[in-house]
Amino acid sequence: MANDKSSMQLISRGILSENPIFKLALSMCPAVGISTTVMNGLLLGIAVLFVQVFSSVTISIFKNLIHPRIRIPTYTLTIATWVTVIDLVLAAYLPEAYAKMGIFVKLIVAFAIITMRLEMFASKESVNDSFWDGLGMGLGFMVGMMTIGFVRELLGSGAIFGYDVLGFKPLLFFILPSAGFFVVGLMMAFFNWIEIFYKRSKGLKR
Amino acid sequence: MKDMLTIVVRLTISCLLAASVMGVCFIFTSNAKKHNEHVKEQQVMYELLGYKNGAKIPESLALHEVYRYVISSSEKQSIGYLVPKASGKEAGYDFVNIDLNGALLENKAVALSETEVLETETRNKAVQQAVGAGYTANFADRIIIVTDNGKRIAYLIGGKFQGFKTFVNVMLAVDPNFSLLGMEILEHEEDPGLGAEIEQDYFKNQFKGKPFEALKTINVVKAPIPDDYLKALTGKLSEADILKFREQYKDKDIYALTGATISSKAVSNGVKGIVLKFAYRINVLDKVLREQQLAVSF
Repeated sequence: MANDKSSMQLISRGILSENPIFKLALSMCPAVGISTTVMNGLLLGIAVLFVQVFSSVTISIFKNLIHPRIRIPTYTLTIATWVTVIDLVLAAYLPEAYAKMGIFVKLIVAFAIITMRLEMFASKESVNDSFWDGLGMGLGFMVGMMTIGFVRELLGSGAIFGYDVLGFKPLLFFILPSAGFFVVGLMMAFFNWIEIFYKRSKGLKR
Repeated sequence: MKDMLTIVVRLTISCLLAASVMGVCFIFTSNAKKHNEHVKEQQVMYELLGYKNGAKIPESLALHEVYRYVISSSEKQSIGYLVPKASGKEAGYDFVNIDLNGALLENKAVALSETEVLETETRNKAVQQAVGAGYTANFADRIIIVTDNGKRIAYLIGGKFQGFKTFVNVMLAVDPNFSLLGMEILEHEEDPGLGAEIEQDYFKNQFKGKPFEALKTINVVKAPIPDDYLKALTGKLSEADILKFREQYKDKDIYALTGATISSKAVSNGVKGIVLKFAYRINVLDKVLREQQLAVSF
């Protein structure tokens, strides 16, 4: 199964048509738990982006050496290694950010989206394509986390990036974890609606 | 059989590869990480002493670290203190072993430099050597005695106590009369939105300025914080007004956090325990040092 998409198509697929959070509905745990502010979403998104790209490339390089029976332990090991590396680097060089998100970085080991991309894509495709696919998926996750964070921070604490923009707190409920489900659900509906709209308009043109 | 062998070999190689990547990364980052933790700790200490965000720290101010060890053998227990010697920077440390009744057992010089003493392993080894075979020395805690021109102005005490979920790690600053100067929560795993509020100003600043007498019987009350006191705690009033409120509420109990009475109680009891025990210990240590006329740096 060779990949016939260009690098740009791979990236846009990760962000739009196969967005990990809104389309594939993977890694919902962090989407709900951590995305209380835009900043949290951005920081975790960057960490996931790095882990995804590094893991995809690593698996793609070694894909012919990995015995098919033990591919899952190998993926997990790869992801765990890169998560540890990023955890150590963050703790050493970005202590401010690490203090906020240190506890979440370790959770990336168990993110479904990363294992899924390794299984579906990186283990079959070339190194180059795997890199772009990882980048697209990572960016898609980051954008998803930031949009959810944007809505929740704005409605929950009336601020964006920690700056008070509304001057009051509309609904404290949006800060709580259960509100994450509502926001994700509404966002999914919104993106699906856009897609349907887009396809229809395209169909009419033809 | 052949499959099994290749699986074993390949998994082993992958593990070795992963281990070496992580190992190399650890070697490169561990120093920076340690440095960060040290800087963070120093920052917390100076903030507790009232030097916020890079305020100039006078040169007459000095921090002296004292390490407490529990020395135990099969029959008896004693408490050992590693105290810095008086003269000069590279003077080394004295190891003072005190029995449970407050009498001196022995006193030995320990050759450790200021940087060596920060290394937990080196320090533990040196103390173990000082107590000799047949005894085990277990590190208990560290206190920091702050002096200004040779006069004691504060103590910084680290401590741990049981919170609602796991341990809460705090650092307290007390003045020479054991009144609280401040409290900082270093580490905790309480519930966000509920117990985690213990690290918020409006809770932890309630402890500021509590005199020793009030701390002895401190408890929590389940009542909302009065509005004007809340403003004072979160620093929305002028410095003079904050002090006025601190004076007014200094003998009152701590207002518990809404929905987190257990965490609030745990903190107030923990702080009480740490300060009371510390007051007893430092008095015993001071008495011994005075009787033996040991020249220490603080």
